[in-house]
Amino acid sequence: MSANGQPAPLLRLEGINTYYGQMHILQDVNLEVREGELVCLLGGNASGKSTTLKTILGIVEPRTGAVILDGRDVTRDSTAKRIERGLAIVPENRRLFGPMTVLENLELGAYLRPRADLQEDLERVYSIFPLLYERRKQLAGTLSGGEQQMVAMGRALMARPKLLLMDEPSMGLAPVLVERSFEVIQEVHRAGVAMLVVEQNANVSLSIADRGYVLSTGRVVLEGKASELLTHDELRKAYLGR
Amino acid sequence: MDWDKLVQLIVNGLTLGGVYALVALGFSMVYGILKLLNLAHGDVVMVGAFIGWGVLGWLGGAQDPAVAVWLLITLMVLAAMVGCGFIGVAIERFAYRPLRRAPRIAPLISALGVSFFIQNSVLLLFGANFRSYESFDLVDVGIGISWGPLNVWILRVVVFVSALAMMLGLWLLVTRTKLGKAMRATAFDREAAAMMGIDVDRVIVRTFFIGSALAGAAGVLIGLVFGSINHFMGFGYGLKGFTAAVVGGIGSIPGAMLGGLLIGLAEALSVGYIEDVTGRIADLTGGRFPRLGSQFSDLVVFLILIGFMLLRPQGILGKREVKKV
Amino acid sequence: MSEAPSGPRIGVDEWVASAEERRQKTLSARAERAFERVPPAAKLALLAIPFALYPFLVEDPYLMQVGINTLIFVLLALGLNVAVGWVGLLDLGYVAFFGLGAYLYAAVASDYAGRHWDGALAIPAIAVTVAVAGFLLGLPSRRLVGDYLAIVTLFFLQLFLVILINSTFTRGPNGISDIRPLTLLGREITSLDGYYWTALVALVTVVVVLYLVNQSRTGRAWRALREDELAAELMTMPVNRLKLMAFAFGASIAGVAGAIYAPAQGAIFPASFDLILLITVYAMLVLGGAGSLLGATVGAVIISASLEALRDPEDASWLVYIAVVLVLLVLIKPWWRGLAVLGATAALGLLVHEAAERWWPSLVEGTTFGQARIDRLVDGWVLMPADFVTEEGLPAGAAARITYLLFVASVLALTLIRSSLWRTVAFVPVLYLAAVVWQNLMLPQPAVARFILMGALLVALMAYRPQGLFGKARVEIV
Repeated sequence: MSANGQPAPLLRLEGINTYYGQMHILQDVNLEVREGELVCLLGGNASGKSTTLKTILGIVEPRTGAVILDGRDVTRDSTAKRIERGLAIVPENRRLFGPMTVLENLELGAYLRPRADLQEDLERVYSIFPLLYERRKQLAGTLSGGEQQMVAMGRALMARPKLLLMDEPSMGLAPVLVERSFEVIQEVHRAGVAMLVVEQNANVSLSIADRGYVLSTGRVVLEGKASELLTHDELRKAYLGR
Repeated sequence: MDWDKLVQLIVNGLTLGGVYALVALGFSMVYGILKLLNLAHGDVVMVGAFIGWGVLGWLGGAQDPAVAVWLLITLMVLAAMVGCGFIGVAIERFAYRPLRRAPRIAPLISALGVSFFIQNSVLLLFGANFRSYESFDLVDVGIGISWGPLNVWILRVVVFVSALAMMLGLWLLVTRTKLGKAMRATAFDREAAAMMGIDVDRVIVRTFFIGSALAGAAGVLIGLVFGSINHFMGFGYGLKGFTAAVVGGIGSIPGAMLGGLLIGLAEALSVGYIEDVTGRIADLTGGRFPRLGSQFSDLVVFLILIGFMLLRPQGILGKREVKKV
Repeated sequence: MSEAPSGPRIGVDEWVASAEERRQKTLSARAERAFERVPPAAKLALLAIPFALYPFLVEDPYLMQVGINTLIFVLLALGLNVAVGWVGLLDLGYVAFFGLGAYLYAAVASDYAGRHWDGALAIPAIAVTVAVAGFLLGLPSRRLVGDYLAIVTLFFLQLFLVILINSTFTRGPNGISDIRPLTLLGREITSLDGYYWTALVALVTVVVVLYLVNQSRTGRAWRALREDELAAELMTMPVNRLKLMAFAFGASIAGVAGAIYAPAQGAIFPASFDLILLITVYAMLVLGGAGSLLGATVGAVIISASLEALRDPEDASWLVYIAVVLVLLVLIKPWWRGLAVLGATAALGLLVHEAAERWWPSLVEGTTFGQARIDRLVDGWVLMPADFVTEEGLPAGAAARITYLLFVASVLALTLIRSSLWRTVAFVPVLYLAAVVWQNLMLPQPAVARFILMGALLVALMAYRPQGLFGKARVEIV
């Protein structure tokens, strides 16, 4: 807890400017996620959502600005180093290791965890997703979309993250599964894990989030409490279509 | 039918195939993880052969070795593996890593440069003459496994068995260890692997080390069985290794083994029979087709490669690549 | 709740609006734009004039021969540019097509073959035949990425050489030496000047054809293919046919080069078409900048001239020292730091040399192989250990070999130093070590040393300036 009673930020982006060649993609982006918070990052196509996430993960390096994870500047660190700081991600399109078994995928999620905790972590994940236990010997690439989503979330939880990043959790899923996804997100959030959910689907994500940011052509154009964003005129026009 | 000749050719083919398989493995591993044709791989084989030769000379040479022969050979192989492993790491660090995000063709051209650099450096330092391992002095050709009229030189057996043993070791490493799992994950999706906290650079470096160490071992084994080495030998062995990897299914470890054995056998058999076969064809057709000598055995291997390209481009054990959109 | 102070409205794209502001205003960017405005015909003239003046400036027949070879090299680089630079296919069998062109010429116009075709018939026929051969070779790799093509073409080159060396029909390693001079419409070309002009006319023709092709639908399609094969395919471009066309087209240019090379030399050997030539042509293309006609031409001229100069013991040292100084001044900024490095290296050398003379005299008792004035100059500066190399110029023992390896390792280590100050400081001992290696180990074997330098050049170029001298940098979006 910091001095003013607010929880300390787990993740902070400070004045991030990112370029692809001459193209100025992210323009002075500031963003933070505090302990235990569920924050969503909204934006349409080409708004810079993916680049923001890649900047947090260290796949893209910003030209100026800093990425601070759990109190340490990691701007020049590799992806793996950042994950060590207590980060985990459910990537867009899930990105499972298709030719490996479900169990192997889960074990890879716990890559940085001590071996002794593996069994316990596995049981915890199986208790959230009992189906994964049945499918543990199956190749991940052969599962259905919804099952794959479970593996991806289970894999991320295996790392026992302090901060979980979710990239487009609703993408490519049937509406029922979207609902189930967001239920799990809430469940994990209630267990005390801070989350940053990147979404196009503003309605669903704002309804479960604490705060939100809206990106447009590489800038943060709106930020605030989720409840207030839901009723904001301009946002409703641009994203909610009503 | 001359059965002795056939059996002898098969033995030759298996020895050659074991060596090709080792070369193909290192090549295939690197391809699997970086999707990069390491065109300098053959030259690492050549450097391995020279390191082995250097150790041999340093320990008294084949005529008068300072240590027991089995120990000498082991030391030669180990030295070549370690030396080549570090050369592989250096190649990755300086020639390929700066190009990870460059257009696909850039690292290939860089690889050509590395290959040319290594070849000519060895030429500068050692000259163009062939260097001999004097294997017949090291291990008497009479010592071997006899079975009826058949006699297989023990060194051939040693080479084949050690090639198999190294492949088995690699197989265990990749399927059973944490590093192996990290290697497979990195090969499938590098970014996703990094998202799991896998230090991708370190995995790539280790892959290069292992692959190049296998190439170094192959270099020494080549020197032992075929006797002489020179700065240019890497090209031929590299080419056959690449071909074996492609035929077996590039990126697949058992594929590289199968491909190596297949190419080795094909080459040995065509060395033995191409003269007879083309001679008979020439006789039957009244000289319309040329008679080819054993130097043309590469032609057969090339035709096998082309055949695979046409009929089964993913190789024996490879999976058809699905284009990611 | 707060609203970001400035910035565009949601959904407004300011990227397009500010395009003009982003254009670079540096001198080189302006020069580049000015060059873009020159009409193509004038550019061609600009390119051709230096080549056209060369025969009037040079008397020496050897230099004339070098000029012809350079033109052939330019032709080869331009042909390779089609497959590699425009389409992005790694063609490692390219010089086999050059060899095929040369041997086909020998087959239609030599005393050995007993035929004397006119060049006006032979050259187009060879161009077509070689194109067909390229097409056939490309076929099995048709739906595959460049990687497989690289292996198939490399193997093809190997096989081509095996056949040339072992077949009685091509007279094996001895080659074919009684090739008839080129006859163009009944007129026989016998002088070096004649071949020079023939090659130049061929070059200009090829450049014009390449320019037109590049401007055409096909040329655009090729470039699109290089940038994004999948996107091109989705735009219903016949990707495989386009690739095969590029492959065959490049091959036919190599064939034409071979058909001029054979009569110009009068004799051809398998060894002229090996891996060394392949890598040389790649170095030319990459130095100039793959994808650019001007780049391929300039790259070919620079490499061809350098290789020639490095072969000559009178010139080799000059070229190397001047190149090192130039590279240093460009690489180290600001320029006075570069000068300081040079001064410090000179001082270090004098110091080391002096110390060696006093305490370890055997370190300076070797004799130099160099024949240039500069070699006698540096003799009192660089260490020349006695018995370091044999009389043939090969390293005499482990000490010499270790020195070389140490040098390579130190250059590599130098690139790892992050701090620019320390890197500048580290340049001093590395440069001195480079001078020691050059004077002692490389100068005795210039033919090998130049290939080592070329290999290193390829790697360094790819790492630091993959677009070459004239290419445009490309941005990869991750």
